[in-house]
Amino acid sequence: MVRISKNMRKNWVVCSLIVVMMIILGGCGSSEKPANQGGTSAGGTAKLGVVSYLTGAGAAYGESIRHGLELSRDEINSKGKVKLELIFEDSKGEKNEAINAVNKLIHKDDVLSILGPTLSGEMFAVGPIVNQEGVPIMGTSLTVEGITEIGDYVFRNSLPEFAAIPQSIKKAKEKFNLKKVAVMYSDNNDLGVSGFKIFQKSLKEQGIEIIAIETFADKNTDFSAQLTKIATLNPDAVVVAGLYQEGALILKKAREIGITVPIIGNNGFNSPQLIKSAGSAADGAIVASPWYPGKDDVKVKEFIAAYKAKYNKEPDQFAAQAYDALQIMAIAIEKSGSTTDRKKLRDTLATIKDYSGVTGKFSFDEKRNPAMDVTVLVVKDGQFTELK
Amino acid sequence: MDFLLNPYYLQIIMFIIINAILGISIYLTMATGQLSLGNAGFMSIGAYVSALLTLKAGVPLYVAVPVGGAAACLMAAVIGIPTTRLRGIYLAIATLGFGEVVRVVILNLTITNGALGLSGIPSMSVMLSKVFTAMGLAAGIGGMSVRQLGNISVIFILAIILGFLVFFALRLSTSRLGRAFAAIKADEHAAEVSGIDTRYYKLLAFFMGAFVAGIAGGLAAHITFYIGPKDFAYHRAVEILLFAVLGGSDVVWGPLLGSLILTLLPEVLRFATEYREMIYGGILVIMMAFRPQGLISEDTLGFWQKKLMSKSEASTQGEISRRTTR
Amino acid sequence: MFWQQMVNGITLGSTYALIALGYTLIFGVLNIVNMAHGEIFMFGAFVGLILATKFNIGIFGALLGAMVAGAVLGYLMERLALRPLRRRKVSELAPLISTIGVSIFLESLALRLFGPQAQSFPGVYSTQLFEIGGLKISAVQILILAISFGLMLVLRFWLSKTQLGKSIRATAENIETANLLGVDTQKIIVLTVMLASALGGGAGVLVGLAFNAIEPTMGITMGFKGLAVLILGGLGNITGAMVGGLLLGVAEVFSVAYGVSSYRDAVAFGLIIVLLFLRPQGLFGSQEQQGGR
Repeated sequence: MVRISKNMRKNWVVCSLIVVMMIILGGCGSSEKPANQGGTSAGGTAKLGVVSYLTGAGAAYGESIRHGLELSRDEINSKGKVKLELIFEDSKGEKNEAINAVNKLIHKDDVLSILGPTLSGEMFAVGPIVNQEGVPIMGTSLTVEGITEIGDYVFRNSLPEFAAIPQSIKKAKEKFNLKKVAVMYSDNNDLGVSGFKIFQKSLKEQGIEIIAIETFADKNTDFSAQLTKIATLNPDAVVVAGLYQEGALILKKAREIGITVPIIGNNGFNSPQLIKSAGSAADGAIVASPWYPGKDDVKVKEFIAAYKAKYNKEPDQFAAQAYDALQIMAIAIEKSGSTTDRKKLRDTLATIKDYSGVTGKFSFDEKRNPAMDVTVLVVKDGQFTELK
Repeated sequence: MDFLLNPYYLQIIMFIIINAILGISIYLTMATGQLSLGNAGFMSIGAYVSALLTLKAGVPLYVAVPVGGAAACLMAAVIGIPTTRLRGIYLAIATLGFGEVVRVVILNLTITNGALGLSGIPSMSVMLSKVFTAMGLAAGIGGMSVRQLGNISVIFILAIILGFLVFFALRLSTSRLGRAFAAIKADEHAAEVSGIDTRYYKLLAFFMGAFVAGIAGGLAAHITFYIGPKDFAYHRAVEILLFAVLGGSDVVWGPLLGSLILTLLPEVLRFATEYREMIYGGILVIMMAFRPQGLISEDTLGFWQKKLMSKSEASTQGEISRRTTR
Repeated sequence: MFWQQMVNGITLGSTYALIALGYTLIFGVLNIVNMAHGEIFMFGAFVGLILATKFNIGIFGALLGAMVAGAVLGYLMERLALRPLRRRKVSELAPLISTIGVSIFLESLALRLFGPQAQSFPGVYSTQLFEIGGLKISAVQILILAISFGLMLVLRFWLSKTQLGKSIRATAENIETANLLGVDTQKIIVLTVMLASALGGGAGVLVGLAFNAIEPTMGITMGFKGLAVLILGGLGNITGAMVGGLLLGVAEVFSVAYGVSSYRDAVAFGLIIVLLFLRPQGLFGSQEQQGGR
């Protein structure tokens, strides 16, 4: 009996080892494609790689990006000027995964260029690699400072915080006569921290006093302690740097405990989900952004309608920016006249000017950052409306 | 050959080696039966210290990495003297907690740049590529570009470090120190009664684990351009534990195999896109059901040794018989 | 402000305690830290949400449904991930890893099934506010507090007075002996895991109600805190889980109110590290399991 079970155990070792080996070999074997330079393939289809945060804590943001890109791809392909193929890779929001993903896209799938990744931390890790390989990469959701400084092949079409935040503070000061504010930010999120720094700077420039600084972390659900503390200080406004999931909960709790002053958010606030989750508590939330869903523009209306038809929900700014990013990419590919030449694509991309997309009029400045107009929005009766 | 030189695979090999070093670090603490989940915390200390040294103070890499390891070791002294009194799950959660505290401190310090992390860390392969270019090899040799050359040299360096650590771990298991570790692992009370200073040895194992994890952190920081507090959170601590448990923690080959499989698995499963994580979780459950002691245990080694020996015997016999018939 | 913060702390703490109860039950009987408990909790929240929004049954129906879903998941987990390990003598690490596998699986399954967006219960349940002497307390806060204390008392009574409870305690004491004494330990173990998971599922609904954010990764954050409470209160101790949970909640809130909010997440484990030095068996742990198994 003992012998048998021992033998069986040994068999299991052998079996499991064999299975593992097979999986590994299978994975590697199927990948043996000649790696030649320059992206490419039959019939003039341009292969583009996408690295996005599709599973894990930030999957909500990755999903929007993915939807925006897919919608954009289908429209471009149906027009037929250029044909695009998107290859999605998940980064789980981890830098090592993101590195592996871009390496796979560049060296195995041989893509022409890359869209993403979702987080700026990931971009700081993959940017230098991609830049070294001479592959154009465009971030669609990166708003912190120092992204395009990584290298000449790094672009972004999302408006950096330093261009948006000062406008919302300025407008809010004019409108509500702000003197003292309380600031909250997500201290384990790069977007929250960089947003906070810029808020701090522009508040100082506007001569507004910061009477309290409180932090929270992504995925926190309880904000009662911070807000109770803030409520006793009676600020003229609460400034929040973070993403909409936490933003919605903060709004809800703040209104519940009787904070009725305006709540000024950063870029992360700009999502219909904010209103959906916070309900009537979202009224009075302010954000500056180039993406304005209520804009009287055919392109915006068509985009929202198509997005709703396809995914049965409202697009947010992550989706809108991703949509525009691919449109810009397609224009550059068409202009450069090649679906394989990465250098040419980069050079053409850098010259993109006055493209009018769903996030408004768009040009790349000399540092490959977007130059666009910002609208300051305020939530009123469950709708984003322009703050005038 | 082209296939092997693909930078994608070269990068994965680098990650495998880093993870293998982490596997050794947890093997060292587990050799005394201590379940420490603090290795991710020690790794982050090694990574931040060495990255800050190279980035801000311009200290050369070969100094910065060992200093990072030493810093991790120093931290291990602070945390280890009280925690090594704890056992089993208590130790596991106290060390996990230590990792969390380190992460929160890193988030709050200005020198570590909080959640924004440190970017633009000098990369080993870029440094080496520059050296090669300076040596007049800008065009590369034998069809290899200078970048590939840089990557391969990095792998070579990492492999040497790993090889040294494996050698050390193997020697350890047959040394006096290793026997003391094994005695403590088997039965701490018995070991104490038979005159082994269990506290000393447990602490020593804890230090060694921390030092190796710190080194791994320093190396990891210098192959990826960027580190952030997210890289060393709870997930990392569990991942390192998985190397040892999946591969087996009895012999040093276990964590090595574990790190190989667990680094490759997510890459191999990329084809499964949305189902990747589900499959990964499922595999963990299945593995534990069939091989709860890990893939490689002492039995396994014995089994293969015997098998290989009998095979080689058989083949030599065959050789002899062939010769004689001739 | 002090008393309002106290109320905030106790609300938060009672959710921690609710989660820790499930951990501690399983640990007490099986000596396993069930790393998938947080994910079962998350599934419970989603099931409750779907019942409340799609089928429009009341909040108590949703709570019940979530508990049933939790129990079913618990049964499956016991069957597939724990029982195969129990049949052979293995180290305590194997079930730890196995449940980590289950947690990864469940989290990604939830992502596929429910999507990544945070969702919340319709406002009717959570907006009732009571003002007592200047303190604002919501109906949900009272509900959570009442339910978690109620559960604790019921559990304690059940374990000490009923036949089944006694069998559970006998099994917790020593599986072999209990077996010899005629306790069907297999059944007891299944029952314990199901009970703990049902508690987890119910806790999911309550926490979802209190904090309005139900999403696939909520299990990790809350599970982590539950783990801290498990150690704080002493492994396998029900009163300990309760007191430990409240203590952690209050400590976290006060660290924000009177300290620096950015160190909040270090409070839980800072407390543990300090406590383990002073009292390695936890607040209510018995002396004999000192700092170990």
